[in-house]
Amino acid sequence: MAYNILIVDDSSIVRAVIIKTLNLAGVAVDELYQASNGEEALQQMREHWVDLVFSDINMPVMSGVEMFNHMQADENLKNIPVVIVSTEGSKTRIDELTGLGIRAYIRKPFTPEALRDVVDGILGA
Amino acid sequence: MSTEHEVMLARVFARVAGDLAFMFIEPQEDGFIPSPSGPCVSATITFSGKFEGSLSIAVPTALCPVIAANVLGVEPEDESATDQLYDALTELLNVTCGNLLTALAGDEPVFDLTIPTVQSLDLRAWDELQRTPGTVALVLEEHPVLLRLSL
Repeated sequence: MAYNILIVDDSSIVRAVIIKTLNLAGVAVDELYQASNGEEALQQMREHWVDLVFSDINMPVMSGVEMFNHMQADENLKNIPVVIVSTEGSKTRIDELTGLGIRAYIRKPFTPEALRDVVDGILGA
Repeated sequence: MSTEHEVMLARVFARVAGDLAFMFIEPQEDGFIPSPSGPCVSATITFSGKFEGSLSIAVPTALCPVIAANVLGVEPEDESATDQLYDALTELLNVTCGNLLTALAGDEPVFDLTIPTVQSLDLRAWDELQRTPGTVALVLEEHPVLLRLSL
């Protein structure tokens, strides 16, 4: 089964790296959507079916956490799993995010295997 | 910045450059760091939390498409690499900073990082930065790289 994946990051090169790594990991992708901040991402999710979201935390306009909070308040979006991809390594921050309902946290730099494990763990192998 | 911090910064940068961009620090047994032969650029990120400060990186502009190409897995002449010239440099800095803060403070404290800023650097400013105590000078893919942590 192939998935529709949304990648949210204000850095186009990070979005490109995640796409490249998904390919290297052999994740079956149907449609790839991109957004440069949380607000754009919410718009994309309202326009397209999305199975999984990879998101940065710190972004201009709307952060990844603000985006997640908006999703939780929207019946149509609240069940879409969100994975945070960030450079931050604080266990406190990761516990906070998973406590909110973020499904997984991937720390940069990451390997294709780490990405694959997260996708499989959330969407099934 | 203490010598211990300088060693840690050099180690973290070497690991991140290898993992993120498949680029490797070249050991300089005689300590010689070549001077840049053209224009240079620096990027800076600031952080706050358990302690506050900033991390800067300075490289010859010619190294930027090489970093971008390595991060993306394309040739340096590829349009995607030249279009994202400084994006890869700031990402390299961002990831280095996040990993360095964990190395310095452990994995409990939360730090807020700003979006990195980029500015051009002339050769005089490069020399001044290289001479500043605490600046770490390395060679990456035959290009000089300066790193500076300010706490």
